[in-house]
Amino acid sequence: MAKMKIKAKAKGDIVNVKAMFTSLMADKEEAEKKKISVEYITYIVAKHNGNIVYEANTSGFMSENPLVKFDFKGGKEGDKIEFTTIDNNGKTETGSEKIK
Amino acid sequence: MFKLDRKSILIGASLFASSALLFTGCLPSSTSVNEKTNASASSKLGQYEIKSKTAIDGGVTYVRANGVETAYAYNQQNTKGVSFGRTATPNEIKAWDRDSLHDGTGLPEGEGSVELGEELYDAQCVSCHGDFGAGGRGYPQLSGGNQSKDENGVVITLKNQRVYGKTEAPKRTIGTYWPKATTLFTYIRDAMPYAHPKSLTNDETYAITAYLLAQNRIKIDGETMDDEYILDKEKLAKVVLPNNNGFYPDIDGPNGPENVRAFFANRAKNIGAGIRCMSDCKDPGGIDGKTETAVMTIEYEMSDVKPPYSTVRDLPPEQEDKTISKAEKMYNVSCKLCHATPQMGAPVIGDVDAWKSVIAKGFDKVLVNSIAGIGGMPPKGGNEDLTDTDMKLIVEFMIDSSKKK
Repeated sequence: MAKMKIKAKAKGDIVNVKAMFTSLMADKEEAEKKKISVEYITYIVAKHNGNIVYEANTSGFMSENPLVKFDFKGGKEGDKIEFTTIDNNGKTETGSEKIK
Repeated sequence: MFKLDRKSILIGASLFASSALLFTGCLPSSTSVNEKTNASASSKLGQYEIKSKTAIDGGVTYVRANGVETAYAYNQQNTKGVSFGRTATPNEIKAWDRDSLHDGTGLPEGEGSVELGEELYDAQCVSCHGDFGAGGRGYPQLSGGNQSKDENGVVITLKNQRVYGKTEAPKRTIGTYWPKATTLFTYIRDAMPYAHPKSLTNDETYAITAYLLAQNRIKIDGETMDDEYILDKEKLAKVVLPNNNGFYPDIDGPNGPENVRAFFANRAKNIGAGIRCMSDCKDPGGIDGKTETAVMTIEYEMSDVKPPYSTVRDLPPEQEDKTISKAEKMYNVSCKLCHATPQMGAPVIGDVDAWKSVIAKGFDKVLVNSIAGIGGMPPKGGNEDLTDTDMKLIVEFMIDSSKKK
């Protein structure tokens, strides 16, 4: 929970999920320009009860501290949704949140 | 002090010391009342400086009675007989005096949880300030931009930006820029939501404040703010924001102006600005202030361009083409249009066969025809400005060009 903020709300059997990740999202070109280290998330996956409900390959095209939103069916209040991100340096971050 | 002044202090702090005098300068200074009273006796209204004291940051100070100094001229007209209205009643003052100080004085009772704050935020704030306080187009970012280190390892704060002059300014979010958390409460209560301000109850305001602090990952008394965290008056007063000491000197209280003076007395240490240098300059540079680097100068002057930029404003002189004769030039202007291509029906220049019959008429006859016009050809080829001498030259040129070589 340290590096991401997750919000999941159930409406009937549809769950609205919003998540924000902390990352500079600076690709090589941008990092050179800003004189910072290259750091961007390359892979985002969200799981609900072990099933993948959201998956994305990302790169520097996303903004700093990127925000993703999606809906999925079949979630219940009280279930857990778990996010995992991997950045270009191989660093993995995980975070989970209960569906409200 | 009333709310207006408190809010002004936040703004004033960011505007630095010039406004520090403006907002707090009207408070009497307990330390040097006598000294200033003497100074005010000797100086006239609107006088630029108090001789015994330096004006703060080169600003203008005006002396009033009882050791008070202000940034504005003080009207000393006799006000006898002028009605200023009645004295405000205690209730009126109570309704007006809604501010809260950073130590918690003036905060109303109430409490709110982070969870409720999230609900309220999603309903009323998210349309402008974005999810998780990430900011929206044209509206302030409320969270994120936490203080980080730049490439030199210097933490990005206001103070370091001033002193080293090389780090970037922190993003102006609650977590990285605001010095006091109680301002958050007062501001939300009085000015938010933008469309219908003052519509939130105290409890709701506490809840939203709690949510925003949680989004900025603020810890209260070492305790992380999770969803169940309940914020109240006492806890809000305990909040220490990361940029708590980013604004200084301390402009609060009656000693504010003196603090500002002391602050600016040591410019090199507190601002990072030394003595202005006009020749053979060295930049103190570096984080430790020891490493010396040459000051950056203009790398390329205007005159370094090759060829240098011309400052002459005339048009360039026309180059005379000496490869062609005067007759050919006149031909190009007046005759070429028809005599260069067979489509126009005129004998084409250089076409020996076409010109054979023309030349057979004899030079004089051809010249007369060219001046008076013949067939489809207008007199002088349509250019009445040509003289007969010119025509003679042109006809000579055309016949010469069309003879067999």
